[in-house]
Order: sequence, then C-alpha cells, then structure tokens
Amino acid sequence: MTGHDVVFVLVGLLTAAAAILTVTSKNLVHAALFLATTLAGIAGVFLVLAADFLALVQLVVYVGAVAVLFLFGLMLTRAPIGREALDNQNRGLAIGVSGGLFVVLSALIVDAVVGGSLGDTTVAEVTGPGIEDIGMAIFAEWVLPFEVLSMLLLAALIGAIVLARREPGDSGEEAMATRIDFGDAPPTEGTDSLSSGSLPELTSGERREGGP
Amino acid sequence: MAATSPPGTGLLKGLGVTIKHLFQRPATLMYPYERNELAPRTRGVIALMDENCTVCMLCSRECPDWCIYIESHKETVPPAKEGGRARTRNVLDRFAIDFSLCMYCGICVEVCPFDALWWSPEFEYSEYSIDSLLHEKEKLRAWADTVPAPPPLDDGAVLPAEVADAIEKAEKERELAEAKAAEEAQAKESGAAGGAATPAAAAKEPEVEVKAGEIDQETFDQLIAEGKSERIARSKAKAAWVKKEKARLKAEAEQGGGDAAAPAAAPKPAEVHVEAGQIDQETYDQLIAEGKTERMARAKAKAAYVKKEKARLRAEAEQAAPSGESAAPEAEAPAKKQLSEVHVEGTGEIDQEVFDQLIAEGKSERIARSKAKAAWIKKRKQEQLDQEGGA
Amino acid sequence: MTAISSGATTYIAQSVSLFDGFDGFVLPLVLKIAFVLQLFFVVPLVGGYLEHKAMGRMQHRRGPVEAGPFGVLQLVADGIKFIQKEDVIPRAADRWVFAAAPGVAMVPALLVFLVIPLGPGVFALDLELGLFYALAITSVSVLGVLMGGWASANKFSLIGGLRAGAQLIAYELPLILAAITVAVQAGTLSLVGIVEAQAGFMIPGTGINVWFVFPQIVGFGIFFISAMAELSRPPFDMPIGDSELVFGYMTEYTGIKYAMYMLTEYAGMITMSALMVVLYLGGWQLLPGVPMPGCEGAGGLFDCSPIGIALSVLVTLGKIMALVFVMVWARVAYPRLREDQLQRMSWLVLVPLSLLNLAVITVFKVVF
Repeated sequence: MTGHDVVFVLVGLLTAAAAILTVTSKNLVHAALFLATTLAGIAGVFLVLAADFLALVQLVVYVGAVAVLFLFGLMLTRAPIGREALDNQNRGLAIGVSGGLFVVLSALIVDAVVGGSLGDTTVAEVTGPGIEDIGMAIFAEWVLPFEVLSMLLLAALIGAIVLARREPGDSGEEAMATRIDFGDAPPTEGTDSLSSGSLPELTSGERREGGP
Repeated sequence: MAATSPPGTGLLKGLGVTIKHLFQRPATLMYPYERNELAPRTRGVIALMDENCTVCMLCSRECPDWCIYIESHKETVPPAKEGGRARTRNVLDRFAIDFSLCMYCGICVEVCPFDALWWSPEFEYSEYSIDSLLHEKEKLRAWADTVPAPPPLDDGAVLPAEVADAIEKAEKERELAEAKAAEEAQAKESGAAGGAATPAAAAKEPEVEVKAGEIDQETFDQLIAEGKSERIARSKAKAAWVKKEKARLKAEAEQGGGDAAAPAAAPKPAEVHVEAGQIDQETYDQLIAEGKTERMARAKAKAAYVKKEKARLRAEAEQAAPSGESAAPEAEAPAKKQLSEVHVEGTGEIDQEVFDQLIAEGKSERIARSKAKAAWIKKRKQEQLDQEGGA
Repeated sequence: MTAISSGATTYIAQSVSLFDGFDGFVLPLVLKIAFVLQLFFVVPLVGGYLEHKAMGRMQHRRGPVEAGPFGVLQLVADGIKFIQKEDVIPRAADRWVFAAAPGVAMVPALLVFLVIPLGPGVFALDLELGLFYALAITSVSVLGVLMGGWASANKFSLIGGLRAGAQLIAYELPLILAAITVAVQAGTLSLVGIVEAQAGFMIPGTGINVWFVFPQIVGFGIFFISAMAELSRPPFDMPIGDSELVFGYMTEYTGIKYAMYMLTEYAGMITMSALMVVLYLGGWQLLPGVPMPGCEGAGGLFDCSPIGIALSVLVTLGKIMALVFVMVWARVAYPRLREDQLQRMSWLVLVPLSLLNLAVITVFKVVF
C-alpha cells in the first residue's frame, strides 16, 4: 500500500461519511454543510487521482459557489437560527430515488471493471492530463459543444431572471423600490401657495390623503 | 464635487488629504512622560487651608452632592484684656471631602467666605479602592501646597483693596526711611567725602519739603483748555508745581551736596524677586522620605527654595541697610492688628493729599478716590488709636 | 520535489502536481511547512503593525508605542491577550458549527501561502495551476464566514454573514476575470511563470521592458478594488459594518476564535497583495528591465546567489507592504459604501469592465 492508497482510502471514507450525514441530518443547514464537506472530499479524491485541475474546479465551482449559494439561499429564506430542526416529509421518496441510483451505478461500475468491456484493462500509473491538453480539448476539438452549452446556460440564466423579476405595473402592485416616499411632507396644494413650488413631487403620482 | 471636475477627482482629493496628514505631527501627548499645560483655573482637586476655616458650614450646606463632612467643637478663649469677656471659638476637628461623590462644581470654593477652600490643578489621585477617595483634613491641607499663585491682573485692573492698602503703607514707610537715610547721609557727608561708601542707605531722591498749597498756573490752564474737569486740572497742576519745586530744590541741594545722592536704592523685601525654577533639595528629599508624591514634593520644595532665597536676599539687604527700612515689615503686623480693631465709619470723605498725589502719579480718578478714602479712614483710625493711647 | 531550487529555464518542466509533495522527502516537507507557517504568522503581523501605525499617523495619532520598541510587539501582545480571554459560546448557538467556522475561514488563507513566490525558489510549491489554485482556495473562505454568521444565533451575525456571502460572490467574478486576463497575457497559470513572463515582456516594437501593470492598468484597478472587497476591508466592510450590525458575523466571537478571524483578514491582505505583486508588479524584480544582482537566469531573476535570493525576498516583501499601505490608505480616506452601492458597483461596473479588459487584452495578445 503506497501513500497514495492510504490517502485515497482516508479521503474516500471522509467523503462517504459526510455524504451519509448529509441525508440523515435533520437540520437543513447542517445538511448543506455536510454536502459542502462531501463536495470538498470529492475534490480531494480528484487530487489523489492526480486530476489537479478537476479538483480545483470542483473546489471553486461546487464548494466555493454551489454550496455557498445553497447556504445563502437557506439563510435568506427559512433557515432556523441555531439548533432548531427543520425536517420535511420526503424521506421515503428520497430513500427510494437514492437507493435506485446507487444500485444502477454500482452495477455499471462492477460490470465495467469485473466482467464487462473494461475487464482486460491493465492498471496504469496515475498521471493526470496537463492543463494544456484540457485547454486544447475544450477550445479546439470540442469548441462547438462547449459554446452550445454556454448558450444553454445563458438562456437558463435569462429565464431565471425573467421569472424572478416582476416588471412594474405587471400585477397592479407597483414595485416598492421605485417609489420614493417623502414621509410627512405637507400637501402641495393648499393654503400656502408660495411653498408649493419648492416641494418635490411624489413620483407615484398619487397625492397623500388628508392633511391639515 | 463641482459638476465640472472629472470623475474621480474627489477620490483623489480624499487620498491627498490623508497622505498629507500622515506626515504631520501627531497630536498625541505622551501623557505619563509629557504633561499638558493646564489652564490657570483648572479644577483638579479641592484644597483646604484649615487655618482659614471658621467652621461656618457654608460649603457643606451648599454642596449639591453633600460630600463635605465637617466636625468641630467649641473652645473658650480667655479674654484678650483684663476684665474682658471670654469668647468661644470653633475648632475644626475633621474636614473631609469625598471625591467619589464630588462633581467638581466648585460651589464650596465659591461660597467660602474666608478663602479656606481653593482649586488645585492636581488630578492624579485615582485609587484602587473607592474608600480611598475620601480625603481627610491632612490630605486636603497637603493639596493646598499645590495651589498655584493667582494669575496676574489685567493691565489697568482695579487692585484689591487689601493690596492697595499694603502698597500705600509700604510706600509711606519707604518715604520715611528715605528721609531718615537722607538726613544721615547729609550728616555723614559733612564729615567724610566718601559718601558713596554707603550706597544702599542713600535715598533716590532727597526728601524735599514742599508745601503743596500752590498750583502751577501754566499746567492748570493747559489742562482746562484740554477739557479736563476743574478738580483734576487743579490737582494735576498742584502735582506739577510740587514736582517743579522739588526739582528746583534738588538742584540746589546737589550743587551743595556733591555726589551724596547716589541713586542706588536698597531693595525692599517686597521687591525681592526670586526665579522659582530651582527646588530646595533638602526639603524635597525629606518629603519624598515622608512618602509624598514626587510632584507634590517638588512643588513644596520649590516653595521652600523661594522662601529661603527671599529670606537670604532680605538678610543681605538688611546688612547693607540697617536703617529703619528692615524693621518696617515686622512693625507692620502689630500695627495692622491694632488698626483693624478700630472701627471707623466711612462717611465718604477722602484724603485730599493722597488723592492729589495719586492723580499726579497718573492713576485713574476712581482708583485715586477709593485709595484716598481708604487713606482717610486709616488716618482717622490712627488718630483714634493715638487718642486711646493718650488716654 | 525540486521546486525549491528550480531555475528559470527548467521550472515549467519541473512544475509539479499538488499531490507530489506526499512522495517527497520528509525534510523538505517539514521545511516547507515551517516556511509557510512562519509566512502565515509573521508577515500578517508586520502588515497589521503597518496598518496600526499608518492609520494612527493619518489620524494624527501615534499608533502603538508601548509594546516593544515603537510598539512593534503590539499585535503579539494582542494575540496573547486573545488566548487568555474567555471563550464564550452563546447558549442558542450551534456549538460545533460555531466552533468550526473560524477554522474553515482560516485554513484556506493559510493554504494560499503554499504557492506564493517571494523570490527565486522561495516558495513551498510551484504549481502549474498556481493562480487558479490561489483563487479557488480563497473562494472557500466564505463558507467559514457564512457558518459563523448562521451559527451565532444572532440576527446581526446572520445579516453580516449574508452580506459577506453576497459580497464575496459578487466580487469573486471581477477578481477572477482580471486574473485570467493576466494569465492570458502571460500564457501560463504558474505564478513563477507569470513573473518570468513579465521580465520578458516588452512594449511592442521597442526593447523597453515593462510590468503587466502597464498594459493592464484597468485590470490592476479592478483586481485591487475586488481584492479589498473580498477581504471585507473598509470601505467595503459592510459585513462588519459596526454602525449597523454591531460587528457582523464576528459579533458573538471572543478570544482565540475572534483572533483567527482577524488573522484571516490580515493574512488575506498579505496574500492578495502578494498576488497583485506577482500578477502586475513584476514579482521580485526591482525595476522593469533591471536584473537582480547575483542572479543570472532569464531576465536576471533566476539562478541566484544567496544574496540575490535575500534581496529578491526583500523586494517582494517591500512591494507587498507598499500595497498593504495603499489598502490602509484607502481605508482611512473613504467612508463605508452602502450595501446596494456595493452590489451595483460590482455587477454594473466591475464585471463589464473586466470582461472588456479581457477582450481587449486577448485581441492585443493575438495581434502582437
């Protein structure tokens, strides 16, 4: 057993433990944190397998961005502060889906390694591809799929914005941010005609009711 | 930013201001190592001169925080004169200020009718225990040594009545001494030619007997023409006449008396000026040994030095001029006591002579009037005393 | 592992995988750890002292004066004080997340020091992916901030954590885009390679050597602003915003945990400044086109004698401290931005500008 193997096993165990805790944790934020740990563990696995670039991409995209967005979204919406639990009723469904996936994937891997098409592969020294090779592969050989993928992501981005953003006047209620409220400013029409010119107009166009 | 300046100018300006400040001297005062120049009326701590305290309780009653504690007892003083009545007197037993309660309003200092309470600029008396902030009589008395001299009066300010009296008296005594010295000098001068051997005793100006009854018409006319009131003009003219007359007489005397009138006047004790920069090492060491703080010890030692130095200078002056001059300050005290015991009703009269003289010296009319009034009262008192003595 | 003695001509070939360190000799590994640790603990202290002093003088104060000569040991004294302090954990807090958060924030800051080259051969690792590694690792720090903000069970902490998260995500984009532009111009992601590329970069058509800050002054500005925002340094310190949020995500932290957050910030200042020195300011090159005395390799920057190495390290540290000073300067000069101004600045100004910068530099690179 070489140093590689020891580290691989350790990182793998850590990742697996974190993954199990992710699904068993009753606290939503804890689950998200364990998910981040799992993703970081996978980056570690990549690292052990000499895929530096992939490991760093995993880190920057999944840990640095996805997990953070996850946590961010949770805290922004309904994360209970502190130790309160937040559970849902989808446990059975989740177990069914993940169990099925596990069976299918392990069957595929076992098939590939033991008896299938990859059965006669010899074990080779682990060396990752150089970053230049990756660059050439993406931007020369597979540039068209890459660009199509980019367009797809862009479309998804724009779609999300369109869904999330409500234009002023769409549903009758004006967006709060565009209205400027001047508080208890006296009504512009009234007894004092001299001061009416100097007062700012209410942008919403609706005059305040009442007043002296 | 003005609308015309290009964007980012404000940002650069901000950076410019801060970098400029980087190279300026920091305003920090390194306090325990350096000390601030405190304002003359700094309210640091309240000092007590317990010999002035009459236990009138005004301070204690006026204190908004009730942080002044006074205890006293009455003592019977035997009558001053045979057959007189015994008097009772309050003796101060305890005077304490709790500085953990004091809010430094200064009302107690303000109301004290006998100047027993003073502000001292000392402020370093913080303690680890709040109980220790209760300063007892001894401690408050020790603070009194740190009270600075009052700042000098502004130019043209009215002198306090006591000071004016004292000056007047000192001046009169000096004139007397000068007259005496002049007589002696004249007596000596007839015998020995070396009149300069006793320069200290020599008067600055030989006392010339001038009758102050006439006026200098010329001066009078001129002043009237300038629009002065008649009275001022008259007194000034009188002074001018006296001066002229004196000058004339002096010139005559000089013609006869040669160089007897050397202008070296002996320094009076009041004029002894000592630079208060040094400290008295002996006193300082002793105080430090007694466990006083360094600052207080320094202040006291400084005071001791000044005192010693003055005493030395005075002694020197006395050696040089053993005439009546030296006796004056000692004689002053009993005289004052006797005078103060006599009561004279001031009815508004003034001592015209003094008034005229002061006017001649260029004092304002108001000062001259008040001083003249004081002089009149004093004269009356003296007369009464003399009468009593005669009886 | 031969990176410690690598020369310029061969360093690319010797650039190693991050994992190679495990199979190296034990001694170099220990040395490297010691090197990184001393970098992590000493240089931020120097930066912190610089901040104390410069800020003090700009505000007409003296800064620290009592601890050590001229107060140089002030931060050491502060560290000792932090260790002695009681470690308070709020009752409602999530204990484990609360305790782990400062570590999660600090470890990435520590790991970035692995790849920062201070001089020829003076670095723990010369990764082929050095720049990418540095940016990827720093992006993990935000997790620690979010965890701390949430676990404190305090609304101010939570809002502070959220602000920090939003801010770090917003400014990571222009930061990475600006760095990528440098990588495009240098043709490598290796930090040492970028230094070498700068030593060999001439103004087109002339023989005048300039640093990358010359063609990429816009990128440098973007990187500088984004770096300050990434570090939550004033005027971008809304996550802490003491007038609004008490102390943001650090409100509930005391003692050594608080010190870890602070150390993360100061270490971040150093790493970001070091990255800027490497990317834009010619690394350990004294002046553009001036070879380092005692060095022979490409551009007079490699194969150095011990004196040359020491000189190079001094030059790098000097540049880092100069940048730290500029950060402090900006901190003193400018008031805190508002949260919406902050987001607006990133998404509407810096991101488009950095994209434009990338496009222009790429065209420039292809044409010349």
